[in-house]
Amino acid sequence: MWLPAIFLIIGISLGLLTDITISDQYSNYLSIAILAALDTLFGGIRAHLDRTFDQKIFVSGFLFNIGLAVLLTFIGVKLGIDLYLAAVFAFGVRLFQNIAIIRRRLILQKNTEKQDN
Amino acid sequence: MSVKNKVIVSILSIFIGFVLAIQFQTSNGSSQRETRDTWQVRAKLQDEQQKQQLLYKKLDKLEAVYEEYAKQSEQEQMDVLKESIIELKKKAGLLERDGAGVVMTIEGIFIDSPYAQEYPTISPELLNRLINELNAYGATDIAIENERIVNTSPIRYVNGKTYVNNHALPDLPLNIYILTENPQRLIDYMEVSQSMDEFSIEDMSMEFTLKEKITLPAYQGIINFEAVEVNEEIGEK
Repeated sequence: MWLPAIFLIIGISLGLLTDITISDQYSNYLSIAILAALDTLFGGIRAHLDRTFDQKIFVSGFLFNIGLAVLLTFIGVKLGIDLYLAAVFAFGVRLFQNIAIIRRRLILQKNTEKQDN
Repeated sequence: MSVKNKVIVSILSIFIGFVLAIQFQTSNGSSQRETRDTWQVRAKLQDEQQKQQLLYKKLDKLEAVYEEYAKQSEQEQMDVLKESIIELKKKAGLLERDGAGVVMTIEGIFIDSPYAQEYPTISPELLNRLINELNAYGATDIAIENERIVNTSPIRYVNGKTYVNNHALPDLPLNIYILTENPQRLIDYMEVSQSMDEFSIEDMSMEFTLKEKITLPAYQGIINFEAVEVNEEIGEK
């Protein structure tokens, strides 16, 4: 459970240390990709708590979600519609749902542990 | 969770964190945009290099003075200190100073016209701009008639007259004495300067004469140090 958090922090500090920036026009794509990746990560944590974690689903979901989100953004830019909002909406809702479920599971786990004691 | 799964989750977490940090830096760092072209950057670089040179020179001078202090006996130290005081006074404009320079004469231009013409006067703004320009072209010391210009010299407009160092300027023609390391160059610059045009708009002309030796009067007032405090950290005023 703590594994992703620790490695997330390591990743952030690595990124801050390397001092890499990307040009402004691609920052839209990057932000949507980050959202998709976060969504997958929380989905993975939830699946782990549900004991339905599957490696293939996790990795393929990660790649596919990012790809789809970036593609949507790209098409949106070409068509002149803010199509990335669709991705933001979908991932945002799922992110909240997943986090809510994770929270409930953790609280339930704590409660059952207390009762066992 | 098996080890393999843990490894994959860790790798993806690191990746996400990394990308997140990049995004942070991108959105934070792009608030100031670089709009200068190569030439401007080059000019700026040259400016900075010159500044560096100047600072090095100053540092050398100060180090030499410091060494002198350190080497000598008490009596000699006093002498060196006195010398330093004289040097600083010279720099501040509290002592007379002579050297090669330029005498600039400002005269009124009177046009033969049927309308009455006002007698031209120098406004403080005009004088300010002129002094700025002279300083920019390498003037080391400036005196307007008998008033030595120091760093804190006020130029004000009082009751229809221009005051320098709290004394009214006399009417035209007026002499401005300028000390500079390269008088001819200063004259060349001033001949084509903005001030020349501005003074002609106000019906005044400038003439320059190169002098091998001119003497600038000392600043008569008292420099007010009330607002000046010693900076404890670096020991400078």
